[in-house]
Amino acid sequence: MITITVNGKEIQIDKPMTVLEAAKKAGIKIPTLCHHELLESYGGCRLCVVEVERMPKLQNACTLLAADGMVIRTESEVISKVRSEMLELLLINHPLDCAYCDKAGECELQDLVNKYGPTVGRYKEEKRKVPESHTDPIFARHMGRCVVCTRCVRMCDTVQGASAISMIERGGRTRMEPFSSTSFNCEYCGNCLTVCPVGAILSRLYIHSYRPWQVDKEIKTICPYCGVGCSLFVQVRDNSIKRVIPKIGQGLNNGLLCSRGRFGYEFIESQERLKSPLVKEKGKFKQSTWNEAFHFVAGRLMEIRELHGGKAIAGIASPRCTNEDNYVFQKFMRMACRTNNIDSISRIGFAAAQKYIEDLLGQGVTSNIIDGLKNSDAILVIGGDPTAVNPILGLAIRAAARNGANVIVVGNAKGLVPIIRDKTLRIIHPVFREADVLELLLTNIFKTQDVRAEKPAIDKRIKELSEKPVKMDIKEMEKLVKILLGSNSISIVAGMELVQRVDGHRSLFAIAALTYLLEARLFLLSEKPNEQGLIDMGCLPDMLPGGRPINVGDFKHKFEAAWKESIPQDKGITLMEMIGAIRNKDIKALYIMGENPVFNLPNGHYIREALESLDFLVVQDIFLTETAELADVVLPALGWAEKDGTYTNLERRVQLLKRAIDSSSGIEDWKIISEISSIMGYEMDYSSAEKIMEEIAKVSPLYRDLTYKEIGAGDCLWPYHGEPLRGELNEVPVAVDITQDYKADFYLAIEKPLFHSGTLSRRASALRKICPEPTLKISPQHAGKLKLKEGDRVNISTAQGTISVPVSIDASITDNRVLLSNNFENKGVFNLLNFSLDKVTKAPGIEGCEVKIERK
Amino acid sequence: MTTKELVKKVFFIEILQGLALTLKHLFTPAVTRQYPTEKREPFPGSRGLHALVRDAETGREKCVGCGLCAAMCPSQCIHIYTSEGENHKKIVDRYEIDVLRCVFCAFCVEACPYGAVVLTGHYEYSDYNRDAFYYTKERLLENWDKYMSGEKGKEYFEKFWRPKSEDFGFPTVSRTGDIKNP
Ligand code: SF4
Ligand code: SF4
Ligand code: SF4
Ligand code: SF4
Ligand code: SF4
Ligand code: FES
Repeated sequence: MITITVNGKEIQIDKPMTVLEAAKKAGIKIPTLCHHELLESYGGCRLCVVEVERMPKLQNACTLLAADGMVIRTESEVISKVRSEMLELLLINHPLDCAYCDKAGECELQDLVNKYGPTVGRYKEEKRKVPESHTDPIFARHMGRCVVCTRCVRMCDTVQGASAISMIERGGRTRMEPFSSTSFNCEYCGNCLTVCPVGAILSRLYIHSYRPWQVDKEIKTICPYCGVGCSLFVQVRDNSIKRVIPKIGQGLNNGLLCSRGRFGYEFIESQERLKSPLVKEKGKFKQSTWNEAFHFVAGRLMEIRELHGGKAIAGIASPRCTNEDNYVFQKFMRMACRTNNIDSISRIGFAAAQKYIEDLLGQGVTSNIIDGLKNSDAILVIGGDPTAVNPILGLAIRAAARNGANVIVVGNAKGLVPIIRDKTLRIIHPVFREADVLELLLTNIFKTQDVRAEKPAIDKRIKELSEKPVKMDIKEMEKLVKILLGSNSISIVAGMELVQRVDGHRSLFAIAALTYLLEARLFLLSEKPNEQGLIDMGCLPDMLPGGRPINVGDFKHKFEAAWKESIPQDKGITLMEMIGAIRNKDIKALYIMGENPVFNLPNGHYIREALESLDFLVVQDIFLTETAELADVVLPALGWAEKDGTYTNLERRVQLLKRAIDSSSGIEDWKIISEISSIMGYEMDYSSAEKIMEEIAKVSPLYRDLTYKEIGAGDCLWPYHGEPLRGELNEVPVAVDITQDYKADFYLAIEKPLFHSGTLSRRASALRKICPEPTLKISPQHAGKLKLKEGDRVNISTAQGTISVPVSIDASITDNRVLLSNNFENKGVFNLLNFSLDKVTKAPGIEGCEVKIERK
Repeated sequence: MTTKELVKKVFFIEILQGLALTLKHLFTPAVTRQYPTEKREPFPGSRGLHALVRDAETGREKCVGCGLCAAMCPSQCIHIYTSEGENHKKIVDRYEIDVLRCVFCAFCVEACPYGAVVLTGHYEYSDYNRDAFYYTKERLLENWDKYMSGEKGKEYFEKFWRPKSEDFGFPTVSRTGDIKNP
């Protein structure tokens, strides 16, 4: 225990900390400028000076470690004089154009000068001249205002790990500049913007458009982009979002954001938003009233239900919609449409992976705290780039690497390459053969460390695998095994590329078994904000809310009692099976809520043909998407910032989504569905999203007794009040191994870029400025062979079609795959890809798609 | 009751004293002005209708849209909307005062770092509908032209805002992006 005295107040601290932190703990504020809570101490500005007894000179509180018996004064005449002089020196070169500067009102320098600064400066020299820079699409730089605190550079280097900016020049001319000198060309997280204490780095999204005190309201809500679920504060003026900021101590992102979360909000006010219900008449959409649309949809669905039975109807739920929307959706499908054919796009990734793994290891095994990653000493990353798919989770991995963890990357997780300490920790394998790598790792670990004998089914399967002939050899294997076995706290981060293989279940088994053998924590990357919630709400063909299997009578009866209606007997079919069934005319009507399968599923033409052959298609969305264009009825819904509800993130943390702006163009998804359901004879009369959560809290064992109040306080982390349930399998489901050698020149694969996420982000103009069009990512070697330069336009053709895009050379690619993202209209990679189903997970295996590249 | 009091009461002395005052004023000249036929020139610095100062050099408003006047306004009747204009400069798209809510405290005038908003002497602006009292940027600039331009404005600043007014200038410093010593 260390005791120090600050301003006569005794402070006891139990771990080493600086005087600044100790004083803060006791509620004593010491002014700072270069110090920032998220960054390490720097000691550059000397505004935090304090007097320490028996020390001859003033000391920096932000770098001085508190020692037992220190007696400290934080305010005195001498201190004030020093602070005033430090500020006066800063103002020698500072323009003082507060009246014009966007930072005024939240500027730390302004506040400090106001409190401690001199009223007039004595230095009359000419101020330095640094022209403003507006060359970057997102950031405006006013380096005349830079006070050289280096907060931005430290943020970019040590927290973001992007190292895109640096201080340049010396003395009075020192300032920050991005390495590419004009535009930032970085990860565009905007975290440098957050930490800059002055108006030197500004966002062009809202430049000059308002002052911090002019916002009407600030609403805490959740990011609409990925499964991390960062907390955002949406600042609104006149019913329009002015900006989105993070806050320290709020949410799991603790003051950080990624580019999508911070700059991707503009889609919500896009001009392309649907304004009124559309009903197709003779192939053309006609605007209709809500009432007409409701009756029309209900009527057609009833007709089909009577004629062909519930099995002829299917529903696609949405991982972008809230828990409440999804709960009401599945209830509507089951109760009103009388079908269990409910699935979502998550089937091609998260949902398939989680189901397989939870079946083996029990419910909740993938629900781990992201922050805990920082304390891991070994992290195995496979199947995707966490820094692009789930950027804030990616930052936790980078932080762990800084703390000394061994990060092992299988494949090309581009954003992690710079932090891998040693080249041997990056495993490059033949294309599409992740499963072999993982099985090899598993069997090698099994050789050194026997099974745990807790789960017979898994133990048995591991033994079987170890007897199979080895298909691959990796020279670093011995080292990896040594690292993993020598680590106490291991995390496995699995991306969804693993699932999208013909034998994806093999990889899933291997990571499940590794998790089990190594007692690791498992994280599944989640591309959409509410994939976990969607699963928990029972938007699955075989599972009721709370992960209750539909074929267990007990559970079923409980739900039937609560819902006052029987649940259809048979299990439903999964997403890709639905498409098949539609083509076979077994399914006649499809209800899609907030999803765009034509664009977001592989082989778009095939999907499109299927949907076109439907008798009746309803699409509920905020834009007229590729899928909505095919619909018979399009119902405009409310978007992310316009509604209340909850999202459940990949940690299984339930978080509150709050309405920030009002929209005149749509209605909440759950409300639309309730109306239609009531017309169809199954009464639903929820008055608010909160009321729906009350029902969920009653019927779902997973969300038992959760209230909005608790959720709002941020305490709703797995396993809440409920307990993990669901039996484990006695037998590991396997299919016949398929091993193919891929020897063609080029294979097309999916790129998951940092700046986009598809239907929403393409309408976010800032993200479009950062990344305006799709590019074909190709390795430098292959680009060289084809004599392609950066920016050359090429035609890429597969059996599915051809598109033309520019080339971008990407050194992180090491094999003959070329990558294309699935974000831009008419240029999505999924359109060019074909798939074949993984027999076990029912996810589409997207591999081995040969592609021809021709210069245009 | 004393005799003196009795005499005062019987002869209505106090009333007669009052009447004597009235009588005296009957013969002194009247101070009442016959408004509206007779009008009085307001003194400089009177707090009447608002105006936005038009910069003689540029012909545009001096206001940079810093929002300090609106922040200071106790009745919250100033509404300012700015945006990024040509060459990334800040422009004032809308500057509006809901005059009916104004309490004529002149805090806005005091808050303005550029002397860009003033209260003119003009006080006659009654109308039949409320909209007429919602002054837009253009109307406020017109007010300057009408009531304060030329010598009048100069005098006003001289009298009331010196020495601060010596710093007032069109804020070209930041508009051009060049950083000069103020
Ligand atoms: S950075 Fe701060 S002190 Fe400098 S001009 Fe802007 S608001 Fe004023
Ligand atoms: S936006 Fe992020 S990556 Fe880019 S310079 Fe700033 S901190 Fe670095
Ligand atoms: S740009 Fe901002 S954060 Fe960076 S050194 Fe300058 S003042 Fe500090
Ligand atoms: S990490 Fe995910 S949730 Fe967080 S800001 Fe980025 S996209 Fe949004
Ligand atoms: S204080 Fe002056 S410069 Fe600022 S907005 Fe008001 S009138 Fe314009
Ligand atoms: S805050 Fe301590 S030196 Fe800057």
